Amino acid sequence: MSHLSLMLVMLCSLLGQAAWAEALPTFKMIARNGKLEPSTLSVPAGQRFKIEIENQSNSAIEFESLQLRQEKVLAPGAKSFVVIHPLKPGSYKFFDEYHPATSQGQIVAK
Amino acid sequence: MGNALFIIWRESAEAMLVVGILYAWLKRQPDGHKGMRYLWGGVAAGVGLALVLAALMLGMMQWLSADSMEYFQLGMVTVAALLIMQMVLWMRRHGRTLKRDLEQGLQQNLETANWWGMLTVVALAVGRESAETVVFLYGVGLEQQSLASTLQVIAIGLLLASVTFWLLQKGGRWLSWQAFFRVSELLLLLLAGGLLVNAAEKMMNFGWLPPLIDPVWDSSALLDDSTSAGNFIATLTGYRAHPALSVLLAYLTYWLAMWGLMRRTNR
Repeated sequence: MSHLSLMLVMLCSLLGQAAWAEALPTFKMIARNGKLEPSTLSVPAGQRFKIEIENQSNSAIEFESLQLRQEKVLAPGAKSFVVIHPLKPGSYKFFDEYHPATSQGQIVAK
Repeated sequence: MGNALFIIWRESAEAMLVVGILYAWLKRQPDGHKGMRYLWGGVAAGVGLALVLAALMLGMMQWLSADSMEYFQLGMVTVAALLIMQMVLWMRRHGRTLKRDLEQGLQQNLETANWWGMLTVVALAVGRESAETVVFLYGVGLEQQSLASTLQVIAIGLLLASVTFWLLQKGGRWLSWQAFFRVSELLLLLLAGGLLVNAAEKMMNFGWLPPLIDPVWDSSALLDDSTSAGNFIATLTGYRAHPALSVLLAYLTYWLAMWGLMRRTNR
């Protein structure tokens, strides 16, 4: 049972090369000194977009926002991206789960 | 981290219970002392089995690309949730006869002086617990921590389990194995729900699942899931301050299904 689902996962991962993440409005975010910068990110409302995250600090981070349905772990020096679903106008909180005190930020959709 | 600790605690206590039953039984047998070596050998083999599994998983993570990693995590979270559900139901079915089943297995092996058979019984019992632990821990994201903090959590979990085991063995008015299983069963069910919500959201991110209404409500004034306490509760129970309708439906379906399945096994 679990073997089967693992096999399926492996197969999916070999076939599916993130076609869902191409040619989207892209924003950059950098993690350093326990902060996520910019701490306020303005994005267009109503369309999917991509955030490229780069971890320039020397500890692991986890970009997290349950409101945006995202959790992304990055090792020191790693780069990755998240694709966010179309947002209604408003503000959405995010933070780094490993540095919650210093890394609170928000995405503002207009 | 709290989740990981809880899982290690629960699984180790369960494994200790299994080993404890076997140990107590062996002590009562005239030939029992011969079996002790094999009992501990079985424990070691079981733990070894789990370590091999863990190594395989970590190895896989090394060569997966970023996108494949996303799919892999979705798979792991889903498998962890299903495993928990299966385990809760299994304990429901076999919890009461666990002792008898184990002893029967041993008795057969003792009569034929089949010590290797006994070692296998123990290795599988312990290995099942520890392999489950590895998968769960992956599901709740322990692998993302540093090795030092991982080992720390494992050590604390084992210590707590030993204390729990000792208290439960002594028996008492406040603690019984039955109560232990009932409380941890509920927590496990909540955790499986949390993992399923996580899986549903990952599927939405891939575009495999429409959100339907997004969000259905905003309860962040009551309990904000971006605070650290709220976030902990969110991971443990699947709570969301801004849930999409499809996640909500998945969550309700899960609880209804579990409630139905539990009622069936109780009869």
